[in-house]
Amino acid sequence: MTAVEATRVTKTFGAVTAVDAASFAIPEGAITGLLGRNGAGKTTLMNLITGQDFATSGTLRVFGERPVENPRVLSRVCFIKESQSYPDSYRGRHVLAMAPHFFPHYDAALADRLVADFDVPLSRPVKKMSRGQRSALGAIVGIASRAELTLLDEPYAGLDAVARHVFYDRLLEDYAEHPRTVVLSTHLIDEAADLLERVIVIHGGRIVIDEEAEDLRGTASTVVGRHADVEAFVAGRDVMSRERVGGIASATVAGLSAHDKARAAESGLEVTAVSLQQLIVRRTGGDPHDARTHTTEEASS
Amino acid sequence: MDDERPIFLQIAQLLEDQILDGSSPEGAQVPSINELAAFHRINPATALKGVNRLVDAGVLIKRRGVGMFVADGARDRLVAQRQEAFSAQYVRPLIAEAARLGIDADRLRDMIRTEATR
Amino acid sequence: MTALAHERPAALSSPGRRIGNVMRMHVANPWPAVLLPWLILFAIHAMMLAIWAIISHYAGPDLDADAFRYSGGISWIVFYLMSIAIQATNATFRFALGFSATRRDYYLGTLAFFLITAAMFSTGIGVLALVERATDGWGMGGSLYAPAYLYDRSFGEIVFHFFTLIALFAVIGLLIGAMYVRWRATGLYAFFGALSLVLLGLTWWLLDAGWGPVGRFFTETPLVGILAWTLPVTVVLAVLGWVALRRAPARG
Repeated sequence: MTAVEATRVTKTFGAVTAVDAASFAIPEGAITGLLGRNGAGKTTLMNLITGQDFATSGTLRVFGERPVENPRVLSRVCFIKESQSYPDSYRGRHVLAMAPHFFPHYDAALADRLVADFDVPLSRPVKKMSRGQRSALGAIVGIASRAELTLLDEPYAGLDAVARHVFYDRLLEDYAEHPRTVVLSTHLIDEAADLLERVIVIHGGRIVIDEEAEDLRGTASTVVGRHADVEAFVAGRDVMSRERVGGIASATVAGLSAHDKARAAESGLEVTAVSLQQLIVRRTGGDPHDARTHTTEEASS
Repeated sequence: MDDERPIFLQIAQLLEDQILDGSSPEGAQVPSINELAAFHRINPATALKGVNRLVDAGVLIKRRGVGMFVADGARDRLVAQRQEAFSAQYVRPLIAEAARLGIDADRLRDMIRTEATR
Repeated sequence: MTALAHERPAALSSPGRRIGNVMRMHVANPWPAVLLPWLILFAIHAMMLAIWAIISHYAGPDLDADAFRYSGGISWIVFYLMSIAIQATNATFRFALGFSATRRDYYLGTLAFFLITAAMFSTGIGVLALVERATDGWGMGGSLYAPAYLYDRSFGEIVFHFFTLIALFAVIGLLIGAMYVRWRATGLYAFFGALSLVLLGLTWWLLDAGWGPVGRFFTETPLVGILAWTLPVTVVLAVLGWVALRRAPARG
């Protein structure tokens, strides 16, 4: 089952194309990472999925229906965004008091536990809270809502490492007991990598990666050694990046088999796996049009 | 979890290691999927995939509503499997590195004997 | 996957419930929209009494009987609630959409909230006007709750007067707020530009046609009739507010 299905979704703001003919599917009952650099179009895409904004062209289906102005769909969705605005008069407790009325599966007892975990001052006006406290408030609503489709956009901006791990632990704990579809957008890819089942990477408004997280792991390796050896080894392979210092060179290549790695080791090259974060940095470091060409080449080879 | 191999393989291997070193004896209960996911901060689906690998191999047995247990004879089977993989995984790279350093087979054998009797 | 097959969320299936939830959102903190206006009103009341007492003391018996009938101490409430309406369609709109409400539910709930607020304030003011009358203007011949042309009006007329005006200005506030969330600053320029044009046109027409017919309308039409004329205006503005809001994004 698919929770979200996008077909050539495009969103333009004047001359700027924020989302460019994005087609992808988000599977139901999994944690999907929506990754990309700042300004890549992550938030815009989530705004479109939740009907907060209107697509310029293309079609979007959430649980098989158009999400825009559709209470049947929206009542099953919870979208927590980094820049969520709150009424001026609201204190933390007012936000939590409203949540059960809008999210049918909301668990107030769980929210109370999370408030204690994150140490959120509920009697403080939301606009006087720190960035981290506001993020924590959003994360609490996001987890406790238990919405069938939960979208978390940079849910821990301003939170320190300890609080972020509390977030991962609580999310995983509750997700394990109450499976649902979670879409997590983050730029802290290494931290979140092991949580993800599926990875969608957006770059310059285009979808450049849409794969199972397990399939992405180990898809690229870096070989380091003498320049001539490295060149000889990577010849004819899909090289994603090259670096050279004096006689030593390194190259990041895709699709090395165990046999390839053994051969590289035998010829005196050091082989290390590329982490998801490094992989994405390499694929999104340059011009989005190049990145797109890269994936098409891969698909055709 | 390292970056090299799929996480579910690493989970399977961790459980195997525990059976091999005796910390999970035959018949003992192993952690649930959710406990594994929470402990390693990984997706429960991934933990399930790792565990299922061992269930399919007959190393673990699922008892509905009770939990998962180490199967009888699991340790012997794992030892046999690991012994088979030992040569490819450890001996061949050892010989390759030794050759690079100019250590011949006789000297290598002596070195192994010395280390083993230490 | 069985746990995913949740039972249909019954709580949100009825539009009435969803609209009610939006209304609840406006009073989650009842302070600015419900409590504070009454508090300000009573503070003004106390101040007016003090001022009247001082004036009576010094003026003595020479004071005209209607000296305290023209205080404007009540009209601010109309503009106060308008400003609440402007704010409501900015932060609260984006908050409501963030909590998965539809624009339609948000607008209907917000409109209903302001109509109920208008009814509550106008009824409250009407009751206070009756008390004022029964106590001979708080013992000093003053009239704070039914000043000027409302002085000798019935309870019903006073309530209708405040209801129509609060509703009209609240809907103007909603329209300003809606144009802001839809078109940002451009929306505000458009609103005030259009307002200037309407006023300019009106002035032109008045200068051309003379004040006669207009003056006649206001002197010959009964108060209730004049006020009733605001109702279609309120409805038109409410519809315009919806036209602006129905395609408004909730980003940023």
